[in-house]
Parts: sequence; structure tokens; C-alpha cells
Amino acid sequence: MSDSEPNTRPPLDGVRVIDFTWIVAGPTCTRLLGDLGAEVIRVENEQTLDSIRFGRPHPNGFQPPNSSGMFNWLDRNKRSVTINARHPDGLDLIKQLIRVSDVLVENYSSRILENWGLSYEEQRAENPEIIYVSLSGFGHSGPRRDYSTWGPTAQALSGLTSMSGLPEAPEPAGWGYSYLDHMAGFTAAAAITAALRHRRETGQGQWIDLSQVETGMALTGPATLDFTVNGRRYRDTGNPPGNRSVWPQAAPHNTYPTAGDDNWIMITCTSDAEWEAFCEISDHPHWRTDARFATLPARLRHQDELDENIGSWTAGQDGRALMQRLQSADVPAGVVQNGVELVLNDPQMKAREWTATRDHPVIGPHLTDGLQIRLSRTPAHRDRPGPVLGEANQYVFGELLGLNGARIDELQANGAMG
Amino acid sequence: MGALDGIRVFDCSDPKGHFAGKLLAGLGADVIKIEPPDGDIGRSYGPFLDDQPGPERSLYWWHYAAGKRSLALDLHSADGLELFLPLAEQADVVLESCQPGRGRPFDPVALSEHLPELIVLSLTPFGQTGPWRDYAWSDAVGLALGGPMGSCGYDNIPGTPPIRPTEHHAGHISGYFAATGVCAAIYERQQSGLGQHIDIAMHECMGFTIESSAPWALYEQHPLIRQAGRHAGPQPTEPWQYPTADGRLINIFGMPRSEASWLALVGFIQEHGMGPNLSALELLDGRKRQLGLQQPTVAMMLADIAEFIAAHDAQEIYAGAQAAGAAWSIIRTPDECLDDEHWHARGFFVDVEHEERNRTVTFPGAPYILSRTPWTHGRRAPMLGEHTAEILCGELGLSRDELGALIAAGVAQ
Repeated sequence: MSDSEPNTRPPLDGVRVIDFTWIVAGPTCTRLLGDLGAEVIRVENEQTLDSIRFGRPHPNGFQPPNSSGMFNWLDRNKRSVTINARHPDGLDLIKQLIRVSDVLVENYSSRILENWGLSYEEQRAENPEIIYVSLSGFGHSGPRRDYSTWGPTAQALSGLTSMSGLPEAPEPAGWGYSYLDHMAGFTAAAAITAALRHRRETGQGQWIDLSQVETGMALTGPATLDFTVNGRRYRDTGNPPGNRSVWPQAAPHNTYPTAGDDNWIMITCTSDAEWEAFCEISDHPHWRTDARFATLPARLRHQDELDENIGSWTAGQDGRALMQRLQSADVPAGVVQNGVELVLNDPQMKAREWTATRDHPVIGPHLTDGLQIRLSRTPAHRDRPGPVLGEANQYVFGELLGLNGARIDELQANGAMG
Repeated sequence: MGALDGIRVFDCSDPKGHFAGKLLAGLGADVIKIEPPDGDIGRSYGPFLDDQPGPERSLYWWHYAAGKRSLALDLHSADGLELFLPLAEQADVVLESCQPGRGRPFDPVALSEHLPELIVLSLTPFGQTGPWRDYAWSDAVGLALGGPMGSCGYDNIPGTPPIRPTEHHAGHISGYFAATGVCAAIYERQQSGLGQHIDIAMHECMGFTIESSAPWALYEQHPLIRQAGRHAGPQPTEPWQYPTADGRLINIFGMPRSEASWLALVGFIQEHGMGPNLSALELLDGRKRQLGLQQPTVAMMLADIAEFIAAHDAQEIYAGAQAAGAAWSIIRTPDECLDDEHWHARGFFVDVEHEERNRTVTFPGAPYILSRTPWTHGRRAPMLGEHTAEILCGELGLSRDELGALIAAGVAQ
């Protein structure tokens, strides 16, 4: 973290976030806020722990709830307090916490907070300036508000799953992870930082109601407009197009095999200049004058032959060396990297110090990953590991809420904390 | 009133930043898109109105440029750049996406130092530093190098490559980081009065957006196996997508966890006279229902579920499973979302007037509902140079003759 020099603290320094999130979507949001300097306090309950606290991998052995690498990755830079919201005294503690906080984020099903007695109106009664963020599958209004989603089912409903795959396959490939958990989290972080600006300008808080499916539908603009404007349904033209590009029109635009087992390179020529450069640097300059490939319309018409020719040329070549060679001629080309290649071995990531070693009381020394928003004057940080369950109880109950020892003992005994 | 009301953004980005600019416009900023005099390249991206290409007919542009103003000014000319500096002085934010060694019109770090109150955001493929910073790039190459694509594809069709999800997702992912970075920097500036430079590498934004691939790499140095229609994992797992009687697909991820919700789902299936094995006592133990571990109990459960799904229509399965508390879904195409009354009830789809075409166009709308500062779709996408005179003459004080000379010289449009 930046030192105490004036005006170098992270941008959200001084913002306190009550974090009722779990799984991936909500924690993605609060990780960003934590990296940007907000004080994020996870409110957890021992009876209904975030299942990610049990999620693999457990690099130092399975010792839940504090041994999950997945949790430590997603929940770094956060604090943890244990409170039972279903206990009347627990609810009162949460209300006290709302009074001294700026933002409350949750990603439960759409009626949970309401049932606890923490609707937006009830939160406002405690703190009129609170920014409340609800992040659910279908949002808090509308006839399907009681339906629920996980990342993969939200992706399916939004249209995004159908837009990823090979045209001839019986099913879409979709997304190999919960893309919309991340994206809904990013969406929430953008909305919160904007709402903080508005609050600093006007003193007004607000309620931000997010639907995970809507965050996905918002990413389908051109395809949706092709229907609302041109009346064309997505599947009418043989979609999804595999790794080819329908819009913008480009060819070649595909993955091609390289040496080794299951190694691939993406090559995309988005202009005639790039295609000409590709032909020159490849061992087949005659492709440039071949009538089948000389112009973009011709290449699009003969895309099967084009891809077959290029694939025969790349097969057997070392992917990384080929990428360098194509890049030396200014041809957009990149190997398909898996997580290990990207996170641990990527020379660009290494040059920008993507990983750093941190310590954790249970996991021990480990790698944490990088910061995406690199601010020149008020840098973000990655100093604090994911919190051990309840590590901030004393801080929250004693320092923030000012409870004395006897009262803390009482709340511990009666089940309000825990 | 929008959350970024009163904030002015000069958006010099190319398609890498189109979504970032759209997010800032939706939050209420005055986003001025600076285009080359012959038009932003996004205007050449289809699909097109009635399938006829043209700078004002790109539906890509209609979507990503909505709510922005257009200033057509050649920043690569000395005259254009000279006009840009006083414009930047009036701005709160300058957004640019040119790679450092690829002939950018101005140095964003120097601009930031020259105008200390300005927030300058560089949204580039690999950032301002590093050996790949000037690599030739496209959205698909970005998704390949950046990680998302490596997790997507087919395990059940031999020899097939990893699959890139379509529709500019490198831009989508990093657009959110850009918008969040800008908003956070504005928030900080409200207190300090100071701007700064923000270096965002799209490669790094994607490097986080890979879910469990990251911890499996960081802690176990273990790559994941891509698998059709479900999460990549350290080991092979059971399918989640099942065909229905009416030719659709249902995604069954989100199997009930509690006993009560499991019994509700079993009840729904057995009401239809199917799923005899779902009554097995061992399935009452949630651990025996957990997907991904190749358990025999799960194989038995999924066989019955697949048979039930294959015998019924998608809508009936989706509605019944959701009513029973299981987060199952239909795999829809984007156009089908318009058939769901729920999104209309929430006001997701927005009708926008295209007055000169005498038509109203329905767009996908807000990614968030802000109660006090509603997201706005804004006006239809600007025509090329539509606001050039308004900005250069009306706001910067150029005379009509001066503007005419710039246009004649090809510097403005």
C-alpha cells in the first residue's frame, strides 16, 4: 500500500464496504473494491459459510474454512467478521455497522435481505447515504424475480452460451467458467464507484439493482440489433461461427494447430495489409496472388481451403516461435494460453510483475496475482491475504462499534456472533 | 441526472475502448468520440442496416456509440493535435487506446503531466511496458493470449480447438476495468483535486477473468481441461447440457444443495412419472449429488434427469425446475431474450428514436438499475462529425471559416 504521503493513498481509501457476498460474483466485485483501497468487511456466518471456503485447491492441505486457495485468491484484501443475521442481536449489530459504512453489497437470492429486515428502506433508516447493491440472477423486480441462476445458467439465458461454439456441433461450447460471475462483479464495481462519485457530489446514496442475466444481455448488442433491426434470428446464418469472424469480416481468422499435443495459434488478418504481410512472412507468398485468396470477398468464399492451407503450414511448427515470426511482420497472432502459461510463464506478465509472494496464516507463503487498474499517483494494492474466518471480530465489535468486553462476551454467548 | 453528470470525456479510442466509452456515457458522462475524418473503423463493422454497409448503417456502431457525440478530427495532423490540447484542458477524462510504439498521436503520460487535473486512461492490449506492448492485436488474439479462450471448447469432439466466444469480449472485460478505474480516479479527485494516468492492459484484465484457472495455476501449477458447455477443471466432469423433446438444450448446473430443495426437484420430475432412481436414499446425502467427482450416484442421477429432459419440452422443464428451486436454464440465443416478459417488465430493452430514418430501434439496455442516477441509453449513435461544429465552433470558439478551412484540408469533418 502507498505510504502516508498526501494524495497517494489508493482511490477508495476511507470507503467502508459491508460485504454479504459469496461464491464468485459478489466477491469479484469486492475484490476490485479492496484492491482499490476500500475497507471491505465480509460478514460471515458459521452456519452458512461461503462454499468457496471449501473450494479446491487447498495448497497446504484441507483445513477449512481457512485453507482454500480459491477463496484466498478471490477474497484478498478483505476482513472477516462473524455475525448471525437471523439472531435479533445479530441483526442489530449489522444495523450498527450500516451506520458507519458507505456501501453494502450482497449477492443472495432476491428476498433474503428483505426477509432479514434489511431491505433498502430499512438500511436507509440506519444510514440515509448508504449505497446498497443487490446482485441476483433476475434482479429484485419483475415476474421472475424468484428464479435463480449460477454463472453458467445465467450465461445460457443471456444468449452468451449460444454464441460460442462450432457451427456443426450438437451443442454450444459456451464458456468454460462462470464468465458472468466475473462480469456481474465488474458491473457492480463500476456502478459502485460511479455511485460513490455521485454521493460525494450530492450526499445522496442509492440502491443499485443488478441482474446477472442482464449484465450478459448487455454484451450481445450487435447480435440483438441484427434481430430487432433486420429481423434475423441468431441461428439463421449458421451461427455460432467457431473461431471465424462473421463481424467484422476477416479472413483468415481462426485457430490453427502447432507442434505438440493440443497446441493452437490464433491468427487474424483484419486488413489486406495484414494478409499481405502474412503471405510474405509465411513460406507461401503465392497465396497473395492466388485468385481464391487475393481479396477479402474471395478469401471469405474460400475460407475452408484458406484455413486448410494455413493449418497445414502451421502444423508441426513451434507455436511460440511462429507467434514471434508473425508478430515480426505485424500480423496479429497469439498462442492459446492455458492458466499456467498465462499466470506463471508469460513473458509479458512477468515483465509487469503479475505475481507476488504473500503470506497467509494457514496456506503459508503463496503467489497472489496482479492489479489491473494501474493508477500512477494513487496505486491500488495487493497487500492483505484472504481473511481467516472472524479475524476482524475484535476490530469491528470493539473499535468500529465501540462495544465493551462484557457486551462482546454476551453476544458471543447468545449466538449473535458466530 | 446520471452518476457522472458534468463529467466530460474525450474518447480517442478505437474498438478496444468502444465499450469503455459506452459505459461512461451510460453513467451520464458527456462522451465525445473523436473519430478520424473518414470515420471510426467501427463504422465498418457489421451487421448493417438491411445488410447494406455504410458508415451510418453499422449496427455495431449504433450499439457501441449510442449516447456519445462525434467530433471528426485528425489527431495525426499538426492542426488537429493543436486543437486537441485546448479540448483536453476542458476535459475531465481522456481515454485512448493506442499502443505506445504504434504511432500514437500524443504521449498519454506526458499529457497527464502537462494537465495535472486531467485523468488520462490508456486502455491498450498489453499496457505501456513489457516485451509485447506493441504486438499486433485483435480481440480474438487477445482472448487467446489472455486466458478466457483456453478454458472454452469441446472435450467430446476430438481434434477441435479451444473456442473463442464471439462478440468483442476482450473489449467488454477491460471496458469494465476502464470504467471502474475512471470512476475511482474521479472520486479520488473530488478530494485531492488531482488527476493521474491510468495504465490498463487488456491482457491483465483477462488474466483475472479466468475464474478457477487462476488459483489452480497460482497454487498448484495445474492447467485445466476444457469441457463442452461446462467449467474447465483439473479432471473430466459430467455434462451439464441436455437435449429436450422440442430440440432445445437445458443447462442443469445448479443442482439443489439442501435436502428440501432436492426433494422438491425430485417431486417435480416424478409428478411426470419419471426419475424412479431419484428416490434412492443415498441421493438424500448432498455429497452424493455433487457433480464433478465422477461418482456412481451422480451417474445414476444424471441418467434419470437426462431421460426426463429428453421426454419434455424446454419451457416446461425450465419453469418447473425453477419453481422447485433449481437454477436450471434454457440455452437461448440473444434474439430469444426479447420474448421473455421479465426483461420487459424491468425495462431492460430500450426503444431509441432514429428520427432521420423515421424508425424506432429496440436496444439492449442498462446493465444496472441505479435508483437515483439511472443509466441512460442516450441518443442514437452520432453520424460522422455530427457534433464537430457544435464542439469546435460552439464550445472552442472557432469561426465557421476556420472550421471550413480545416474541413477543406481534411483535418476535420
